[in-house]
Amino acid sequence: MPILELHHLRKYFATQKAVDDISLTIEKGQIFGLLGPNGAGKTTLIRMITGIFYPDEGDIFFDGKKFDPINDISKIGYMPEERGLYKKMKIGEQTEYLAQLKGLKRSEANRKIKEWFIKFDMHTWWNKKVEDLSKGMSQKLQFVTTVLHEPKLIILDEPFSGLDPVNTNLIKDEIYNLAQKGATIIFSTHRMEQVEEICDHIALVNKGQKILDGTVKQVKQDFKEHLFKVSFADHVTPEHLAIHLFEVKKKDDNEVVIKVDPGYSNNDVLQYFINKGLRIESFNEILPSLNDIFIRLVGNTPTARQFQEVTA
Amino acid sequence: MNKILLIIKREYLTRVRKKTFIISTILFPLLYLALIFGMGYLGEKGKSRLRVAIIDSSGYFDKGKIERENLKDSSSILRLVTDNPDSLKKNFTDQGYDGFIIIPQHASWEQGINEPLQTSRTLGIGSAAQVEKKLNSIWDEIKNEKLGIDENKKMILNSSRVNIIPKNIKDETADSGVASTIGYVAGFLIYLILLIYGSQVMMGVMEEKTNRIAEVIVSSVKPFQLMLGKILGIGLVALTQFLLWIAFIFIIYNITKAGGSGMMSGVVGQVQKVFAGINIPLILFCFGFYFLGGFFFYSSLYAAIGSAVNEDMREAQSLSFPVTMLVIFSIAIMTVTISEPTGKLAVWASIIPFSSPIVMMARIPFGVPGTVPWWQLGLSMGLLIAGFIFTVWLSGKIYRTGILMYGKKPSWKEMLKWAFRKN
Repeated sequence: MPILELHHLRKYFATQKAVDDISLTIEKGQIFGLLGPNGAGKTTLIRMITGIFYPDEGDIFFDGKKFDPINDISKIGYMPEERGLYKKMKIGEQTEYLAQLKGLKRSEANRKIKEWFIKFDMHTWWNKKVEDLSKGMSQKLQFVTTVLHEPKLIILDEPFSGLDPVNTNLIKDEIYNLAQKGATIIFSTHRMEQVEEICDHIALVNKGQKILDGTVKQVKQDFKEHLFKVSFADHVTPEHLAIHLFEVKKKDDNEVVIKVDPGYSNNDVLQYFINKGLRIESFNEILPSLNDIFIRLVGNTPTARQFQEVTA
Repeated sequence: MNKILLIIKREYLTRVRKKTFIISTILFPLLYLALIFGMGYLGEKGKSRLRVAIIDSSGYFDKGKIERENLKDSSSILRLVTDNPDSLKKNFTDQGYDGFIIIPQHASWEQGINEPLQTSRTLGIGSAAQVEKKLNSIWDEIKNEKLGIDENKKMILNSSRVNIIPKNIKDETADSGVASTIGYVAGFLIYLILLIYGSQVMMGVMEEKTNRIAEVIVSSVKPFQLMLGKILGIGLVALTQFLLWIAFIFIIYNITKAGGSGMMSGVVGQVQKVFAGINIPLILFCFGFYFLGGFFFYSSLYAAIGSAVNEDMREAQSLSFPVTMLVIFSIAIMTVTISEPTGKLAVWASIIPFSSPIVMMARIPFGVPGTVPWWQLGLSMGLLIAGFIFTVWLSGKIYRTGILMYGKKPSWKEMLKWAFRKN
């Protein structure tokens, strides 16, 4: 059952079609990657999901019912890309305050904060002020404030920016943990290697429209170019490489990258090499990385999109 | 509703717990008192007692008259000397005089004397006036003798006068002297609150915007709740400060009353007499009303400005300039109002919402319904309520867009566009 369904959402600003007819379905427990270049409309889309903006058109269904911002936002945790906390406020008090704004009782908030602080090794910070924290520390704190009220839907916008590898792993593990416990996570970023590692489902947004949607596996299959890497125990000479079966993309002494022509199967290729008397060591398909797909799809978007006129 | 309470609580507690709040609450009245007494003290101290030598060739002045006057008025010391004017001119400072006056031989009691007070340094007008006043009092005595006016006639001359006091027959208790003092103080206090706490609201909003916590908060509460919570929280801080001051005054008043001896109890008695003619509950009620109404009216505008600008204080100042001008304009109208509380300007300025908090507060002590008819007070209050509902609504719309908008500073025109946009 989907936790979130977006039907034909639209949000136009005076100078820009920020979100232009986007539909999406996100299932419960998924780690969903929302990708797109800068200015694609991700933040606007997220702000509609978190009830900060009302859509001009379209409907949002949250947990099977029509999205009701006033009640449903307490079931959502949102960590915006531009994040901040009250600098002069003590950390414990501040976390309590933010949790209470999400509808938690004070005593309950207090108990949960202590659990998280111990887990993240932050329990000695309680009476420190945010201005005394390093960037990485306040990032961890921000994550705690986002997930403290055990939201059903967690939206993280670039959660790892500014974190060192140790803390990145710490947060990553917590994200898996939360997903395992049944929370759904929307993960917005343009760091593709992280998406490939973490997400099971992605959507790519560009110029306010969704241009791609599917599981990471499926997307890679859809964009594969029938490239294979074959390595041999023998030296490969140009005479070994015929023209009609495949096209050679790259060649080393013992290794070639080939693109198999349509109409031929992998077995045909292997058969061919065996007939040539070459000893094959490995035969692997090369799937495109999300980064390649991303660049291929949005690479030539003019950066001046922000200032286009709205004619609709 | 519960969330607004949380926000109010945070805004209130973080401010009240600050050292600056405690210090300013204690120091402001002390500084104010120090300023008043200090100025009086320095004014007295600043006047030096001039020693002035008088060379009289006319024969009008004699030692007895001058010494008698010296005893009556010690603000300067006069001495009759018989030196030669030229030698005195050379060595009057050596003889311990600050200056000298030469009364010429041809001086006439019917025409008066017009001579310089000659000194070796430049004197203020005030010090010369002291000497002049003393000499005039001796001169009066001389004229009386010449005219044959005895003590009886002198008393008639001095005390038989025409006196006029303004009296409002609709409001017997009104006293314009006390009223203008109370009006002035009340209007000025509201002016201070609007400026100080209005800019606190603006800074608070700017802090949330530049810290980038605004987006985190508005994913939990509506922007309007956040704005209203901030305004109410800071309003409560202002109110707390006021109540503390009133409590101070009350305690000091009671201590001096209980102490009850000599000069202090005299002062207390006078204070009681002065306030007897004033409708204190009404003034306090109106003060509370106009204080809150004016605060809502202006602080919501300041909140809208704070939401629209970035961290740059100069942007905030230039954008808030028109709003600040309205407040300053009101205090200018107030000074006119106090000298003429029923004038056209006073009446209209006390009804129109932007100036009414300050101007009406200056008029009320002159008497309701004597000076301010009930309909004016009612209309003014009604319009102020409508006014702040409007500015809070307008600012809420601007705030909602501005708080998440970064980049170029918007103009007032753009802000109004945000305000009237649907959604």
